[in-house]
Amino acid sequence: MDYRAIAEQVIKICKQKGADQAEAYLASGRELSLEVRNGKIESIQEASSYGLGLRVISGHKLGFAYVNDFRPESLEETVRRALDFARILTADENNVLPDDPAMTEVRGLYDPGLSQIPLDRKIALAREVESLALKVKGITRSEGARYGESESEIVLANSLGLVKSYKSSGCGFGVGAIAEKGEQKSSGYESCQRRFFADLKPPAEVAKRAADLALEMLDPRPVKTQRAAVILDPDVAFAILGGIIQAINGERVLQGASFLGKKLGQKIASELITIIDDGTLEKGLASAPFDGEGVPTQKRPVVENGILKGFLYNTYAARRAGVKSTGNASRGGFDSLPGIGPHNFYIAAGKMKPEEIIAATDRGVLVKEVTGYGINPVNGNFSGGAAGLWIENGKIAFPVKGITIAGTAEEMLNGIDMLGNDLDLNRSRTAPTLRIKSLQIGGE
Amino acid sequence: MKDVFPGLQPINRRKFLSLGLQGGLALAATPVLVRSLLAGEGQKLQVPDELLKKALAAALKRGGDFADVYVENRVSRSLLLEEGRFKSAVFGLIRGAGVRVIDGDKTGYAYTDELTEEKILRAAEVASFIATSGKKTQPLALKEQKRPSYIRVKIPLQEVADARRMEIMKRAHEAALGYDQRIKMASIDYYDEIRDRIIATSEGVLLRSSLPLIFFIVQTLAVGNNTSHMGRERLSRHAGLEMFDELPPEKAAREAARESVVMLEAREAPAGKMDVVIQNGWGGVLVHEAVGHPLEADNISRETGAFVGKLGQKVAADIFTMVDDGSLPNFRGTTDFDDEGTQMKKNVLIENGVLVKYMTDVLSAKQLKMERTGNGRRESFRYYPIPRMTNTYIEKGKDKPEDIVASTKSGLYVQSLSGGSVNPTTGVFNFTCREAYLIEDGKKTVPVRGATLIGSCLDIITKIDAVGNDLDFGPGICGKGQSAEVTAGQPTVRIRGITVGGTRQRG
Repeated sequence: MDYRAIAEQVIKICKQKGADQAEAYLASGRELSLEVRNGKIESIQEASSYGLGLRVISGHKLGFAYVNDFRPESLEETVRRALDFARILTADENNVLPDDPAMTEVRGLYDPGLSQIPLDRKIALAREVESLALKVKGITRSEGARYGESESEIVLANSLGLVKSYKSSGCGFGVGAIAEKGEQKSSGYESCQRRFFADLKPPAEVAKRAADLALEMLDPRPVKTQRAAVILDPDVAFAILGGIIQAINGERVLQGASFLGKKLGQKIASELITIIDDGTLEKGLASAPFDGEGVPTQKRPVVENGILKGFLYNTYAARRAGVKSTGNASRGGFDSLPGIGPHNFYIAAGKMKPEEIIAATDRGVLVKEVTGYGINPVNGNFSGGAAGLWIENGKIAFPVKGITIAGTAEEMLNGIDMLGNDLDLNRSRTAPTLRIKSLQIGGE
Repeated sequence: MKDVFPGLQPINRRKFLSLGLQGGLALAATPVLVRSLLAGEGQKLQVPDELLKKALAAALKRGGDFADVYVENRVSRSLLLEEGRFKSAVFGLIRGAGVRVIDGDKTGYAYTDELTEEKILRAAEVASFIATSGKKTQPLALKEQKRPSYIRVKIPLQEVADARRMEIMKRAHEAALGYDQRIKMASIDYYDEIRDRIIATSEGVLLRSSLPLIFFIVQTLAVGNNTSHMGRERLSRHAGLEMFDELPPEKAAREAARESVVMLEAREAPAGKMDVVIQNGWGGVLVHEAVGHPLEADNISRETGAFVGKLGQKVAADIFTMVDDGSLPNFRGTTDFDDEGTQMKKNVLIENGVLVKYMTDVLSAKQLKMERTGNGRRESFRYYPIPRMTNTYIEKGKDKPEDIVASTKSGLYVQSLSGGSVNPTTGVFNFTCREAYLIEDGKKTVPVRGATLIGSCLDIITKIDAVGNDLDFGPGICGKGQSAEVTAGQPTVRIRGITVGGTRQRG
């Protein structure tokens, strides 16, 4: 199917029907996912699909409709539904579409060879990572191994003359390992995602990490409720980043629903902390030449040496705030309106080796798992369940499970006193190992 | 391209099609004609039985034990009223079909957005490649069945003008802002959909149904001197617009606003182990996470779950009975039959502390040689079914809720929960409080900030020592790789000694 032609045609119909502005967002692609358990294939799923999201603006009113049926009469209905919906809404002069024709050059988003690699090789990869994990002493069961891949093409056209498109690909595999000892059961999961098949980690590395994660948590001991240092492993970076991402959402800031809303230009974190949002990173899993409404992406610091430098905006929120879009319109898919979200979002690397951070800690916990919702973006409060390794006198002493950690964003961000050099930009939301000097821990 | 979606007015539609094709995509018919042709949101999803039969035969061509074809059409509306403005409206038209083949323990699955014979048969072929066991199954002749419906509708969604939906939203918006001066913003999300399903299986089952759903979410922002709080209340049923007569939008709005304002005064929550009383209603998400997920039979057939090998054993306190019931009239987790065509019914999972049943889908029921419980569910045609909960709750007990609090010397009273998660292998769960209070000398006292509660499923159900007589429910969304509409419920319960993740060290 010629998606560009469909997009342009739909825009034309919208204009004929009286829309002031219109935007067609077409996503098409294919996916493959498979699961292996105990060496046997458990499932294989394959499909290709497509869909269109149509945004129309009429009298500053915004309507949206989506469809995955491209027959002419269905496209007609989609146009009509979007326009009908636009009529009943509240006019808002900030409802405008972007007109910047530029695209940011981002390399390494699409692996043209991915679909050529035979299915058998992908099945073999999942089998291998599972069998390697099961070979590790102490691992008693597999929770299964997976391989998945997808390719997609985004075509975006609007009535201001934008017609842009790009292709992207992604692939990944992972395994879950279970260690049992008496009545104890401990599980570890590790995966690796990349844009290119050739960049995937060796299965031995992924298998070992999954097995280690399960094994190191056996024979946990209780700890008392206390204040102590909390070291966050890169695996749990979201515990800090999730709340910040929502709190720097430009629309949330305008609504007064962000604990960072009034902190622009102020110190919100330790001087060690610089946070980058980067839509341009080569082979980045959250990179793209343009955002969910066609604005070129960029790389920019949102926090620099602890100072809050800026918020994230799409075109609508930017106009409301009297600033320029930062290229952060996010789309959940063709079926969603552009919201606001980050690209590759990370805390820049520090200088310490993770083992130096552990060695410098008298008493605390190296957190490997955090559950819950992370920092509350409205008021900055944080409380989560946690598991990890207890540290005494600079050494890992024993595993701890079933503890909680809690505090406020202010306390956590300003309390970061050590920052690791182990930043892995192959993940889209990440941080190096970091230490919060003191936080409330709930235990016995 | 052969159209397998003829609709209710095939002649007119064909005529329209030819007109449409002449003018490319440009509209050739008069607007009035188009409206009458396309407004049929309630029109039946029609795929010829002959094609379903062909697809099942193609799916089992290389062998296998079971195959099914699932066809879906979903028409949805979503409206947002926020900051006093109707900000956006989203209209969705999605359809597709998926074909599944089960061969031994293996599942092959493929789907298509295009409901053409060519694409559906191609999906069947792709799914069929999974079969290698050599076992041959002949699909039984399809026989359309009528089943009892647990969903009664008085005001069908497809007959309701958008203005009526917006009126309901406005009522909630005004009630929220009018509740207290400290409410600075209200956000009203309205969503409804009609999901038409066709399920055809190699066992000869052929079912068609049309399922309405409403999901209404009120969020309110209260701003105090040095803190803010976002409160939330949700209403959802498989029902028509009459839902709002029984569940008034104003009431939901005032409830969200009340939570927002109360929590402005919240103090630090305590940290450490303590007794916790959880109020009736959505608090049932505790057992949904902690016990429900580990009882989904896919964990059991894979022998990884926390409850493996415990059937028939005493796993909980005598006063603890837990049920999953997908047939509760109009509930959010209810359907007439699950997405594999299994009849919904009441399933007692744990009875007076004894584990009596797991929740199965077709595959896990076959693997475990157990009955199908009606828990094979899927998010859409893009996913194959897996065991999922429906409406899950703790059966009511005998205690009066006020007595439960009065007999708790000190601890935490949890009035509402946000949600939680569980690792089904280890049974370690967590959930987060939305609104909680200290219990001091048998009395509910000051509000405390949202704290996390954590524990292990096998442990927690032995520690429930009081179950109230006030069973109630709340609607939610459950995620397990794919999302599902669920209800969680419980009476007021007390759990002895659970770890609370507060910020305040107790003296």
